[in-house]
Amino acid sequence: MPANLFPTGVEYFRILPEMILTIAGVLVMFMEAVFTNDDQRKIYGPFSIVALLAALVASLSAAGEPGAAFSNMLIIDGFASFFRALVIAIGVIAILSSTEYLHREKSAGGEYYALILFSIVGQCVMVTANELIMIFIGLEISSIASYVLAGYLRDDPRNNESALKYFLLGSFATAFLLYGVAWIYGLTGSTNLDHIRSALQTSTPPLALAGAAAALMFVGFGFKISAAPFQVWAPDVYQGAPAPVSGFLSVGPKAAAFAILIRVFMTAFGPIAARWEPIVWSCALASMVVGNFAAIQQSNIKRMLAYSSIAHAGYILVALTADSNTGSAAAMFYLAAYAFTNLGAFAVVTYFSRKGEKYVSIDDFAGLSQRQPAMAAMLTIFLLSLIGVPLTAGFFGKFYIFKAALDGNLFWLTVLGLLNSAVAAYYYLRLLVVMYFKDPGDSMDTLDAPGIGLKIAVYASALGTLVLGIFPGWVLDIATRAALK
Amino acid sequence: MQLWLIPLLPLAGFAVNGLLGRRMSKTAINAVAAGSVLLSFLWVLKTLSTLGVFGGGNPLEQAYTEHYYTWIQSGMLNIGVDFAIDRLTAVMLMIVTGVGFLIHVYAIGYMAHEGGYYRFFAYLNLFMFFMLVLVLGANFLLLFVGWEGVGLCSYLLIGFYFTEKFATDAGNKAFIVNRIGDFGFSLAVFLIAMHFGSLDFATVFGKVQGMPVESSAGWMTAIALLLFIGATGKSAQIPLYVWLPDAMAGPTPVSALIHAATMVTAGVYMVTRSSAIFLHAHGALEVVAIIGLATAFFAATMGLAQTDIKKVYAYSTVSQLGYMFLGLGTGAFSAGIFHVMTHAFFKALLFLGAGSVIHAMSGEQDLRKMGGLRKYTPITFWTLLCASVAIAGVPPFSGYHSKDAILASAYDYAPWMYWVGVFTAGMTAFYVFRAFFLAFFGEPRWQAAAPDAHGHDDHGHGAPHESPPSMWIPLAVLAVLSLVGGYINIPKWLEPMFKLPEEAPGIPWTALVSVAAGLIGIALAAWFYLISPAIPEGLARSFSTPYRWIYNKYFVDEFYDSLVVEPMVDGSRSLLWRVVDVGGIDGIVNGAGKTVRNVGGILKRMQSGSIRSYAAWVVLGSIMVIVAIGIAGGLR
Amino acid sequence: MTLLDAVLFLPLIGFLLLLLIPKSNPSLSRMAALVISLLIFVISLGLAVAFNGSAPDGFTFVHDSEWISSPPIRYHVGIDGLSLWLVILTTLLTPISILASWKHIDHRVKEFFAFLILLEFGLIGVFVSLDLFLFYVFWEVGLVPMYFLIGIWGHERRIYAAVKFFLYTFTGSVLMLAAIIFLYNRAGTFDYSQIQSMLQSGRLALSSQAEMLLFLAFFIAFAIKVPLFPLHTWLPDAHVEAPTAGSIMLASVMLKMGTYGLVRFCLPLFPNAAHKSAHWIIGLAVIGILYGALVALVQPNMKKLVAYSSVSHLGFVVLGVFSFTKQGLDGAVYQMLNHGISTGALFLLVGYLYERRHSLEISAYGGVATPAPNLAIVFLIATLASIGLPMLNNFVGEYLVLQGASYASFPATVFAAVGVILSACYMLWLYQRTFYGKASESLSHHMPDLDGREWAAILPLLLLMLWMGSYTQTFMPAISAQNARILDLSKEHVAQTAPVLPSVREVANAR
Repeated sequence: MPANLFPTGVEYFRILPEMILTIAGVLVMFMEAVFTNDDQRKIYGPFSIVALLAALVASLSAAGEPGAAFSNMLIIDGFASFFRALVIAIGVIAILSSTEYLHREKSAGGEYYALILFSIVGQCVMVTANELIMIFIGLEISSIASYVLAGYLRDDPRNNESALKYFLLGSFATAFLLYGVAWIYGLTGSTNLDHIRSALQTSTPPLALAGAAAALMFVGFGFKISAAPFQVWAPDVYQGAPAPVSGFLSVGPKAAAFAILIRVFMTAFGPIAARWEPIVWSCALASMVVGNFAAIQQSNIKRMLAYSSIAHAGYILVALTADSNTGSAAAMFYLAAYAFTNLGAFAVVTYFSRKGEKYVSIDDFAGLSQRQPAMAAMLTIFLLSLIGVPLTAGFFGKFYIFKAALDGNLFWLTVLGLLNSAVAAYYYLRLLVVMYFKDPGDSMDTLDAPGIGLKIAVYASALGTLVLGIFPGWVLDIATRAALK
Repeated sequence: MQLWLIPLLPLAGFAVNGLLGRRMSKTAINAVAAGSVLLSFLWVLKTLSTLGVFGGGNPLEQAYTEHYYTWIQSGMLNIGVDFAIDRLTAVMLMIVTGVGFLIHVYAIGYMAHEGGYYRFFAYLNLFMFFMLVLVLGANFLLLFVGWEGVGLCSYLLIGFYFTEKFATDAGNKAFIVNRIGDFGFSLAVFLIAMHFGSLDFATVFGKVQGMPVESSAGWMTAIALLLFIGATGKSAQIPLYVWLPDAMAGPTPVSALIHAATMVTAGVYMVTRSSAIFLHAHGALEVVAIIGLATAFFAATMGLAQTDIKKVYAYSTVSQLGYMFLGLGTGAFSAGIFHVMTHAFFKALLFLGAGSVIHAMSGEQDLRKMGGLRKYTPITFWTLLCASVAIAGVPPFSGYHSKDAILASAYDYAPWMYWVGVFTAGMTAFYVFRAFFLAFFGEPRWQAAAPDAHGHDDHGHGAPHESPPSMWIPLAVLAVLSLVGGYINIPKWLEPMFKLPEEAPGIPWTALVSVAAGLIGIALAAWFYLISPAIPEGLARSFSTPYRWIYNKYFVDEFYDSLVVEPMVDGSRSLLWRVVDVGGIDGIVNGAGKTVRNVGGILKRMQSGSIRSYAAWVVLGSIMVIVAIGIAGGLR
Repeated sequence: MTLLDAVLFLPLIGFLLLLLIPKSNPSLSRMAALVISLLIFVISLGLAVAFNGSAPDGFTFVHDSEWISSPPIRYHVGIDGLSLWLVILTTLLTPISILASWKHIDHRVKEFFAFLILLEFGLIGVFVSLDLFLFYVFWEVGLVPMYFLIGIWGHERRIYAAVKFFLYTFTGSVLMLAAIIFLYNRAGTFDYSQIQSMLQSGRLALSSQAEMLLFLAFFIAFAIKVPLFPLHTWLPDAHVEAPTAGSIMLASVMLKMGTYGLVRFCLPLFPNAAHKSAHWIIGLAVIGILYGALVALVQPNMKKLVAYSSVSHLGFVVLGVFSFTKQGLDGAVYQMLNHGISTGALFLLVGYLYERRHSLEISAYGGVATPAPNLAIVFLIATLASIGLPMLNNFVGEYLVLQGASYASFPATVFAAVGVILSACYMLWLYQRTFYGKASESLSHHMPDLDGREWAAILPLLLLMLWMGSYTQTFMPAISAQNARILDLSKEHVAQTAPVLPSVREVANAR
């Protein structure tokens, strides 16, 4: 298309959310410089939430004006809007559930909120990117923010370790991604996804090494979505990072990464699908097995949830393997469902855990149902959703995914996946067991009722989980309309 | 004609006594219990007279049936609750209600001092109900209802003294052994429904009679044999007779009513009822005859050495039932039923008499601890004498007529069977009179009256005493019946159903021989136990081995225990449960869980926490992916 | 809004109401639970009164409206002769198990009764769903409350039992889910009736291999629930550890989910596969009958004994279903109800004993009949019912099952009939060891006879045993009519009239 150097108003309108969030983030930094006492700092939470809500509205209304922006570097289609709304919503819940925690840990600094906002900006850029360089930039914005967040509690050595690991391995993997991008550019002479697609389609004989390039990029994405065999970092990072951050990392960057993974592989690499499908197939299976089987052994709940998130990445990869409209729709639905469920679960963990690995072992939850029945009930909903019990979001997520898989005649992957979910039931049940069947331990003594922000976060995600579980049709319709292919 | 009233009256009695009995006076309970049976007896009489049985002519040529409601309806099967009455049923009804009533009356006196009074009579009435359903039922399934029901009551009444382990053991044994018989019965029922599409007697037997005898197929024989297995259970025939002797653990009236007069003859009734089928399956009839004869013989030998008076009569019951089946097997169905009736009279009398003796001895049952009771219990003495003579088959007593009829047909069928039968008759006479003499003659051996086995504690007082009227009046009535009962010509009455062999004029020699055998038996008994008591001990010593075998009933119980019961229990516990279930299946299940956990452990160890190894993993993974894609599409 | 909707959703409403009752007032939650469940029961009786199976497919109270647009998941419920009595069984046993837990449950009372009512919701839903997806949803919903009932209020090894129960069932049901999704992809609908007619008319044709795989996926899920040998090992643990109410609902209703599924789905939807595998399944059923009985014979623990006896009894049901004869199927369905009544009663009575003596070991008892005669009589009646004494309910079912099986395979019938003997052995032995003999001092002290509440709980079951045993026409016609349809769908035609002799061959060949 003709490159016009002066973007039109509508193009700005299409990236309004990113702009709002960036400005909000910068403002928070300014405030941090000005404010002196903690009472003033209390404003950050509400402020960033307002900003996020504004961004949400902006992105939704932008969805009404679909199209390309900035000489086709960004594209605002249904797919993009869906994920942009999703990551922003994730941001809201993440902030709601962290404020209380930060104040408790005496470290309610503005940078935390700024980082969250920036990371979300990065994710927004990722999901709207229609061009490999943009994808890379978005990825970096989001990642760098995440690296810092992972080590946010400076005085906690585990935080630092986790941040360092995250950073080193992250950049290591990003290198693969970048290499793949370079390669593709060399092959097709373009970084625009559509051009790459057409290049791959038209060129006969098939372009040499295109597959290898795809593989390299898959490594980069695979790391971000913590799919086996690139999952190694996840357990340590999730365990080390502050609970709310882990929650955020387990859904936000993951959703965005999946968005671009789907976009790149279904559009750009669509023509060579036959070559990457087996890889995705085996990575999906590997992730499910590694995640579920290893999770059974965990005694630390954050670590357990980390493994479970690896397993869930596996399920979503099954949908990608199906490589179809229903497949990507299923993946979108699943990511939404998983976002609510996992954020909720981590919110409860946040409410519960204390700085320095305190009260994060599964046994610390003993008797929660008697001290905080409401919280226990909510956590039960989230766990049942993670197991995939009907009337919860998780169930329909799995349902749609395996439906898509069977559509694509992936019988074995389906059966193995379902059996995996039976294995998974075991370790989620363990948490239920201690919450309901064991008597309270000392961890319960210091426990005070949850604050308003956390309450909202938990109930909101529970509501989302149930609504998606009882009336999945709404979200699924949107997803199906927005799905690629 | 309200046939349903006949069984329903005792059922009502059961309901009243069972639900309210605990709050009712003994007199009230007696009134309800005996009264309900009396009413049903009267109703039988009324029904029969309405059917013109007591008038002349040829009543009940055809069965009279009443249909009440559909019990089970499924596909082609339609099983109704129907009662039918024909000549055979009429006889059974008379026996069951008549003798039943007498025994109820007797029980009033006998149980007067027992605990659980209302319970006893409730069970007794329930038994009457099921027994009457058994004989009135117009299809196999309804017969089976009564069949199982009487079994239940027998179980309850054998275990009446439920604090005594031997009693409850005997009860279980009775029920379970009967279940084995019922197993055969039910299989027969399935086959019948399968081949005739119905279980109604009329339909089934109609179809059978329609079939030419030659075409009696293998399954017909199968049905007959399976039915007979049922009969061997209920009527205590080889190999399932073992429960009956133990059943004597129950109160004596129970032994008289259930385990002598009525229930145990259900097998005979059932085979007679199904005679059409048996007549189309000759192999089966032969089996019936042989089993019957064998049972009669071996039971008699076991009776020789028993020292418990009730056990003696128990084995004699088994033996007499054997006679009945010998009759049926040799085709003399009417003779079999004839013997059912006479046996009901004199065997009930024997048991009630025994009960009276035990009552007199305040609970003592061991013949070796009796003797010389003649002058203390005169009525019991005379009535028991009648019964013993009757069972010994001495004319004109009832036992003579029926037993003669059976032996006659046995001779026509196969002489050797006749001779074995005669010899058994001799033995019968011998052991019955042995018991009689040991009880009533000789020196009293009961100074050291042992503490009772049944809890007559409340009246363990001094010398033996005659029983109260409520007990001896039934004895007297039964004595009369066992004297003249032989002149009720059942075979004649049943002729329309089972035609008789043409009579040879005069008294056949076969009869004389059997009578002679009986007299010889009595004489031997008198010689051994009145004149020279030393002889039996001498014999026991000189033939110690056969004596030990007889005394221990050929160790059959022990044989069953070690061959069936113990292997089953041990096998189930140590193999099925411990090994297969817990070890095997559950082992696999838990094993699967363990494997998963172990794999998880290995994966967990991959998570060393060292960043270098992680980087290595990422590299390794990437290489794998790239190579894989290369393989998938070729790098060219 | 049909009567059925009311019966289905009242438990859910009741559950929410119970959640509102303050923890501090346990007696109120008890009362509320009882009242609600009784109300539901009374209303559910209306189903039986107003039931009319004359519709071509035999379903009444049908309510079919959209739940989820895409995929088209419908809230499609209805009742036929097969499900009618199962629903009423559920609504009857819920108040009974509430009464059973009246004193026995003393901690976390509110949650207990809430879960119990929620369980009722799930169970009723399973029996009335006419949409495969809806069915699956309820199938899982029933799982959760039972998991908590066992896990929270169970005995020593409750956690092991609860987890085992959950995982066993869940593993089976994910396979069923795969099959359901596959069916949907082929048929484009989850609607039971539509799929059925499509299969009938051949508009949806399955390759014999696909049909067999689908059949197996469903069958395994159901067989685990039944439970069919050798998938039964979760049952003894679950029963032994569960509280009385849990055992009652588990044995009486939950196991029926499996057998119901076999009749509702496996036969009509996959007839060819069902016929092909019938021989194997009959074999397993017979093994289960004998095996369960023999293992029950040697159990030192009452509940384990009754649990294994259930394995044996349910074997009869499966045998009847896969005999593919009218009698077999009628008997099987009737036996589902019978087992619900009699085994429910047995667990209830075992619960009574446990409340008095706080032990499930048979050896801890003996001579109970002396201090507690009424308890003894009642237990005896339940025992006799469960060993199939004529005029009591189980006899009818067992007779019909065996009669039906005798057409399919006489040898199998012979072996199964041996199970009838064995049932007498283990039950009578249990009864003797528990109630007969001389009562020890300590036992007599802690053995009061039945009180009013206990009578109220057990009496309905006793009456039903008599009723269902001696007058089957109240229940049979509805069942029988629907079974005829189901057999018809299973490509199985059975002579409805009494045939003449040669028809034996027909029946034999018809299998």
